[in-house]
Amino acid sequence: MSEHTHKTKPADDPSFRLPASLGNLAIPLAIGGAVLLVVGVLIGLMAGPGEGIGPQRFTMSAYLVAFTYCFSISLGCLFFVLIQHLCRAGWSVVVRRVAEILMLAIPALAILFLPILFASWSSQGVLYAWGYEGYAESHGVPGEIWTEKVRYLSSDWFTVRSIVYLVLLSGLAVYYFKLSRRQDETGEVTLTERMQARSGPAVMVFSLVTTFAAFDWLMSLAPMWFSTMFGVYIFAGSILAAHCAIAMVTYLLQAKGAIREEVTVEHYHDLGKFMFGFVTFWTYISFSQFLLIWYGNIPEETHWFYTRLQGPWESISYGLIFFHWLFPFLGLLSRHVRRRPTLVFAWAIYLLLMHFIDIYWIVMPEVGPSLGGAGGVLATLLLTSGMIGLYAGGILWYTRVNQVRVLAVRDPRLPESLAFENI
Amino acid sequence: MTDKQDKKLHGTYAEFDAVDTLLAACARVRDAGYTKTDAFTPFPVHGIDKALGIKPTRLPWIALICGATGTCIAVAMQVWMNTINYPYIISGKPFFSMPAFIPVSFELTILLASFGAFFGMLVLNGLPKFSNPIFTDPRFDRATDDKFFLYIDAADDRYDRAGVTKFLEELGGGYTQDVYDDDSSTSSPKAIWVVLGSVIFLSMIPLLLVARMRVTTSSQPRFHVFFDMDFSPAKDAQMTSSLFADGRAMRTDVPGTVAIGQFDEDLDFYTGIDFDALTRREPVRAAHLVRAIADEESDDAETAATDESIETADEPTDAAAEPEAAEPEVTGAPEVEDDTPWLEKNPLPITMAVLERGRMQFDIYCATCHGNNGRGAGLVHRRAQRILAGAWVQPSSLHQDTLYADVYPDGKMFSTISNGIRKMAGYSSQINARDRWAVVAYVRALQASQNATLDDLPVDKRDEIRKLQAEVKQRLEEQAEAERLKAEQAAAEKAEAEAEAEAEAANGEAQAAESSD
Repeated sequence: MSEHTHKTKPADDPSFRLPASLGNLAIPLAIGGAVLLVVGVLIGLMAGPGEGIGPQRFTMSAYLVAFTYCFSISLGCLFFVLIQHLCRAGWSVVVRRVAEILMLAIPALAILFLPILFASWSSQGVLYAWGYEGYAESHGVPGEIWTEKVRYLSSDWFTVRSIVYLVLLSGLAVYYFKLSRRQDETGEVTLTERMQARSGPAVMVFSLVTTFAAFDWLMSLAPMWFSTMFGVYIFAGSILAAHCAIAMVTYLLQAKGAIREEVTVEHYHDLGKFMFGFVTFWTYISFSQFLLIWYGNIPEETHWFYTRLQGPWESISYGLIFFHWLFPFLGLLSRHVRRRPTLVFAWAIYLLLMHFIDIYWIVMPEVGPSLGGAGGVLATLLLTSGMIGLYAGGILWYTRVNQVRVLAVRDPRLPESLAFENI
Repeated sequence: MTDKQDKKLHGTYAEFDAVDTLLAACARVRDAGYTKTDAFTPFPVHGIDKALGIKPTRLPWIALICGATGTCIAVAMQVWMNTINYPYIISGKPFFSMPAFIPVSFELTILLASFGAFFGMLVLNGLPKFSNPIFTDPRFDRATDDKFFLYIDAADDRYDRAGVTKFLEELGGGYTQDVYDDDSSTSSPKAIWVVLGSVIFLSMIPLLLVARMRVTTSSQPRFHVFFDMDFSPAKDAQMTSSLFADGRAMRTDVPGTVAIGQFDEDLDFYTGIDFDALTRREPVRAAHLVRAIADEESDDAETAATDESIETADEPTDAAAEPEAAEPEVTGAPEVEDDTPWLEKNPLPITMAVLERGRMQFDIYCATCHGNNGRGAGLVHRRAQRILAGAWVQPSSLHQDTLYADVYPDGKMFSTISNGIRKMAGYSSQINARDRWAVVAYVRALQASQNATLDDLPVDKRDEIRKLQAEVKQRLEEQAEAERLKAEQAAAEKAEAEAEAEAEAANGEAQAAESSD
């Protein structure tokens, strides 16, 4: 099978390392990101909309958008890694390390979660309205219902839960990253077996944590609203963003000279298929959530969508249908698009942008009926770009300093992945 | 091989030991210009379609077109059904509501796309095909085991038996073989026909039985496959039950039960009758009513009172007692004076809030029949007319002299809303007493609105109305003018056309006369 065998390069081949041109971006990106983040916060506090705690509330919400955006990408990557082990996937070995590096940002992002945690302690309801002591009276919520609500939505209990989520997710990320890296040196097959055996329970932990984290961190922004599908909705966006991020990072690595021969058009084709599939999955889930609420037409459920169909949010809501679903759906439908890495790369960037709009649309309407004016929009964009800069810079810095390979060089399934072909 | 010479030659195949030799041979055969070729391998071989020069399949396009057709059919079907053919309000949604159409559109898209992919695959592959002449050679069976085969069809333009055999041998085919017609019998074994025939025959039996049952009558009761779906075990109102000593399925409220918000209202409020007056005038009837309410231990006081009141009010004369009975066949009966001392005045304070509440309840419960303006042409009525419902009687207009406050007291209207009248059902179970009074207040406002003069309005609103009146008048005049012009024009055109036709006819006659000459 001469056509199917690939000459395996030695494990310390330079093309398996992070290209220097990317590694050198680490410090500028991180510093630039931190500066933008600070500037964004200052602009938000000064030019944000509203009276009293209004600007603080706006800025914290924008910060939550930025945090959720980066966190959801890493979260999706963690799931990508778990699911590849769970189904003993062969094709994905050449891109799995990219996902592993991205998911390792979860422990670092846990530190960036601290401002959100502090904000949740505010008795003014700076970020989460349920923290405000007068919420029930000012929103006409019956006292006995509110008493039950705040049993769960109290800042102490919220803090405990958030720490549990972050510890569990960080633990999974670090565990899988460490084992995969150890295999780079030793090549033990038992490591793969161990990772596979633990991926089943890990996926269960992951899905519970994701669901409840989505409830706590995002859904509780509207304390009286509930949708059991909300966790899946956040997961759908995350896993889509993860596939896009993996395709984008792989393309950039190849453009700078790394893993050029290892990742082929076949792998892009598969990533493209998953992007296409998860675009549809996201739509399926978000529409299912909408349809039930729309049909039931009960005020306590519809108000979440009602808020998002007022003023500028209305055009964003309709925009999501066309630009988060229809446009990429038609664009990624053809095999010819998915077999052109440059097009897959372009669609990945486009969908990552749409993922931001999605998160923005989930969080910001709870702050107020407007986008927050020019200052507010600028603050949101600066905060998000700052967070992305910090996120990307941190990942590059860690990869460079620790000499992390960008390919799982001794994975027992690497030859299978190298020889992978779509029929 | 000589005995095969008179049979049709289908092609030639060669056997290979390794997949690489096969792939190389495929590429050579492709490069030599053969197009009608095929390869057989025990497992899928990547790149073999490229090596054989097989064009990309058209199947995705078939699936896409079928899927899009499914979407279009589903959307068109639902739009036609729900908005054109049978517009029916479901869950208060608009007739055309896209979210409700999406699940069906989605399913039909998937269904037709799958059909397109599945049946398209069969058609493109020429399946089902029950036999292939290549199977006649037992050696070919190893295509499912450990050998690789390359086949060149005799239908290929470049096919030449000797040349192809030599070529295949050159390419490394260890064994080449010509493929001739399958010489086994072409008729199917008799057993297949027997089994098939029996199955078809047996499957007809249920259908025949159903057909027979549809045209015959039976003295046996109908057979219920799912008995508890045909006869729900849940009890309806007025049904009996052996569970309780009194035999009533419906349990009544615990004695002394008072519904929320109805604690400290008086009898007048729930009946619309002035009890003081009634006691003075007819102590027996009043006592009877009060006792009925008091004795009704387990039933809701309100219902008891209103039941009793309708009974007493209508007792002597049945429905004909109601003077506003607009139906001629009813008013034909002799009218009897209604002597119940109805409350003349609405016990609720008439405020904007009460009127708004009344309007809301009216629009929800009353307007479907009586119409939003109370003229008796609501949605239900209009639909009944459209479908030509025979037994339908138009709901009463609320704007008739017999229903105005001077002859039809508020209390009586309250009682009518509570207990119903003629074909109208009582609404005491849907609308609470306070809201029924609010509806009465709103109906009074509605009646006033239809007979209002300019002087009834606040001074500052009059100019506005005058302006509107002038505008409407002007628009109506313009319309009338336009219609008149149009009619004139049409008449002129018609006259012209007639003149022309006459001229033509005259012309034709003249010609006919000429030709007959």
